[in-house]
Formats: sequence, C-alpha cells, structure tokens
Amino acid sequence: MPTHYEPLESPVKNALYSRDTNPVVNWFTRQENRFAPPGDPRFPFVLTTYRLTEHHTAGGMSRFLSHLAELQPELFAEMSPELATELKVKNGDYISIVSLRGAIESRALVSRRMRPMHLNGKTVHQIAMPFHFGTSGPVRGDATNDLVPISGEPNVTIMEAKALACNIVPGRLPRGPAFEEWIKKYVPQGGPPNLHPEQPPPGASPGPAAGGHSQHGKTDSR
Amino acid sequence: MIGEGIQSTNQRKHSYVQDRVEVGFFTDPSVCIGCKACEVACKEWNEVPDDGFIWSGNSYDNTGHLGASTWRHVMFLEQDRQKGNQVTGPMGLPGDPQSEDPFRWVFLSDVCKHCEEAGCLEACPTGSIVRTEVGSVLVQNDVCNGCGYCVVSCPFGVIDRRPEPLHDAGGAFKCTFCYDRQKSGLVPACAKVCPTESIVFGRLDDLRALGAKRVQQLQQSGYSDAQLYDPTETSVRGIHAFFLILGEPEAYGLPPKPQIPTIYLKSAWTSAFATAIASIIVTLVAFAFFS
Repeated sequence: MPTHYEPLESPVKNALYSRDTNPVVNWFTRQENRFAPPGDPRFPFVLTTYRLTEHHTAGGMSRFLSHLAELQPELFAEMSPELATELKVKNGDYISIVSLRGAIESRALVSRRMRPMHLNGKTVHQIAMPFHFGTSGPVRGDATNDLVPISGEPNVTIMEAKALACNIVPGRLPRGPAFEEWIKKYVPQGGPPNLHPEQPPPGASPGPAAGGHSQHGKTDSR
Repeated sequence: MIGEGIQSTNQRKHSYVQDRVEVGFFTDPSVCIGCKACEVACKEWNEVPDDGFIWSGNSYDNTGHLGASTWRHVMFLEQDRQKGNQVTGPMGLPGDPQSEDPFRWVFLSDVCKHCEEAGCLEACPTGSIVRTEVGSVLVQNDVCNGCGYCVVSCPFGVIDRRPEPLHDAGGAFKCTFCYDRQKSGLVPACAKVCPTESIVFGRLDDLRALGAKRVQQLQQSGYSDAQLYDPTETSVRGIHAFFLILGEPEAYGLPPKPQIPTIYLKSAWTSAFATAIASIIVTLVAFAFFS
C-alpha cells in the first residue's frame, strides 16, 4: 500500500498517521546535524532545493565556464509576492536564510511562480533555491547545501535535500566574528542533538528495518 | 520538424548556399522550454566572449538584450494571462476555489531578424555589411571600421559595437546566421541544438507555410492570442528570422511597425533643399533692402 510520511523537517504534523516521519530512515544524529521538530516556530518556512538548466550539480564544472556562468551568475531564493510583502523584501534584495545547520545569504527573486501553500488550515510559505554555487570561480555564492541536513533513505542512502525548515532574515549575512554573534540569535547553541521527537539519540542503531547500505539488518544467507 | 529525427531540416546537411535558396528561422515560443541551449551553442561556435556576470533579478533572464556579445537571447516573460485554455484554479490563494488566477511563463529566443530591407546594411559606409546568397545579412568584421552607423540604423536594436577590453573591441557584431557553417552544409548552431525545435531552420517559404499552419493549430487549441510576427507591410519588408508570439509584440520588445531609417531620406533631402533655397532668398532679399 502506498503511504505518506512528512519530511524529516516539516511545518505540519502528518495528516495520515500519528507518526510523522519514515520509521526506517537513518537520521545520523549529531550536534552539527540537528533537525527541527514539526511546526517549530523558529523555522516557519519551507525550503526546497532544485537545479537550473545552466549549471551542473554544485557548479564545479559549470561555474568556471563563462558561457554557462553568465546565464545564472548569482545565488537566489525564489519566493512568492505574498512572502516578500510579509518579510518587507523587494525583488533583488539580499536575504539571509538560516536553518539548524547553518546560514547563507542570497538575492530574493520574487515571482508569482511561487505560491503560498495551505496545510492543515495554516498558510505556509515556501522558498526555492538552486544549489549550484560555491566559493570559487568567476561566479560565486553561498552553498545552499550548508543548510541541508544529512539523512539516509535506507535503501540507497540518498539524503532528503528537497524539503527542510528554515527562517529568513532580510539583509546580508555578517561575516567573521560578527557571524558568530548573529547566528546565536537565530539558532540555539548547545542542547540535545535530537530535537525531533522521533529522532533517536546519537549512536542509536537504525534497527533491522534499515536494510540496504546500512550495516545493520543484513544477513549472509550463504 | 520535430519527430523527423536526423531527416529534420534542423539536422540534415543542405546546400542552400550553393543553390542560393533563401533560408530563415521560425521561432515558436509555444514549445520553447527556456533551456538557453541556443545561447550557449551560439557563443561556443562563434567564440563570442561573455558580456558580464550580472544577475538581473528579471525571472531567469540574465542576458537582458541582444548585443555585440549576445547573438541569441532567450526572453523569460511572466504574465498574468491564461496560457491557452489551461485552467489554473486559485493557485494557492485562499478564498473561492473556483476563482481563476491566470499566470503563464513564456520563453522566446530572440535573434537578429535578417531583414529583407536591412537598416544596418543600408547605413554601412564601408561595405562591411553584405547580403549573402541565402538572404542573410552578414557583418565582415575585418572590413568594419567601427563607425557605428549600423547601430542606430537597426530598427530592432540588434547590432552593437563591442566594448573594451573584449577581443575585436570597437567593431560591430551581430548574428552571422552561422554563414560559415551554412557554407559547409551545416545548420546554424542554435537550431542544431534546440531540443524541442522551437527554433526551426529551413527554406524561408517552407517556414512561412509552417508558421501559418502552427498559428492556426494553436488558435484551434485555445491560444486565441497566437499570431505571427513578420512585418512585411513596413519598410523592413519581411524578416528572415520570424516569430510566433503569444500576445502583443510589444511584450517581447518587438516593434509593431519597424521602419528602416532610409525611408526618411527623401523628406530629409527635400527639407534640406528647401532650407538652402530659403536661405539664399533671405540673403538676396536682405541685400536688396540694406544695400
């Protein structure tokens, strides 16, 4: 039977089951790899990542080619006009995006292609960011993958990088020591590494259900 | 045509230059997916330098406009209009689920139009701009002296002079219709790579028939605002690279009535002549009165 689980970080509870997340997922619980609990008010926005036709993976092969790089020269976050109004952000303004794993800055691309969602009776805003940028080459930008948690789908160990929770702060990201002060305001330092109620503590066995590439749950039938 | 594989006019070898056949581009935004492969292939084949790494904030269009270092430009238009007879619903907005919130994202690959009567060609004082065997307009960059007359004479704002510090700076550049490829029987680079054949290359009369058929097909499927952009009624007298457009040409930055500057020559010379006669008469009259 097909089923539905919410992403590991979600603004809402699962409407189908009492359990929110996939029970066989590998969380890789660590202090640097924390997950926001469902509906965390500190991270109210949904972030999805996607590719652009002009770039390839993290841009290592396309950011250095002028013919491709000039067509998409900067990191941006697409957002709906409704969210832009709420954040008091205009098209092209700098915004900082922060998740439990880190913070990056990008330009805001306000477009009606993005629409607010209505989930369980509340309005949830989504932003979309390509992940093709990095620190070198003719076009540079922050790496969207800095925001993404590490998780493992048990069959093939592909991580869930398409849906995560974030907060958006208008303005550029401070650098150097100022960044350390800034991030403390938005991300709590310290505390337990397993913030999500369904997340196991660090070092816990993923269990026999987590087959595939996991060392656990494999039996040698020879 | 799409579906013909390597037998498509976009793929197969031809002898249009040797046979002196008029060729053209037909660009159809209704199948364009905005991949910009035409822009990249054009720059790669013709060794066109980059013209700056500037993020525009205008949808996915970071190219802006055609110029000396941009010979293909894919426009990205976000319009609050219905696409065909597509029903969108309220698009996530709260309220009446029956309410329509139309929106469409249209891509169009712009290029030099290779006019039947070309403003740039008529303005060129050095003979650098010539008409080729296939009817396209070609700038010979080794002859161009960089005077810039063609830049102001183009009714579409296509041709431009390349700024320093790029190579060949000062000279005027635009789409060559890949004349070098066509001489060898190859298809222009942009048409060759277009994955949906939104850019169709072929004999101009075939393409005009194809364009008319496509407009009719789209109108029957609900695209009531589909029309051809091929200004044959104006002094440009038709273009070799013509377009199918959804909506008005102004939305695509295409002039609805492009005119070449030389049509003003007669009135300009007439008024110059009249001014000369008038000033001679005034001078003679002045002598008659005050001497």
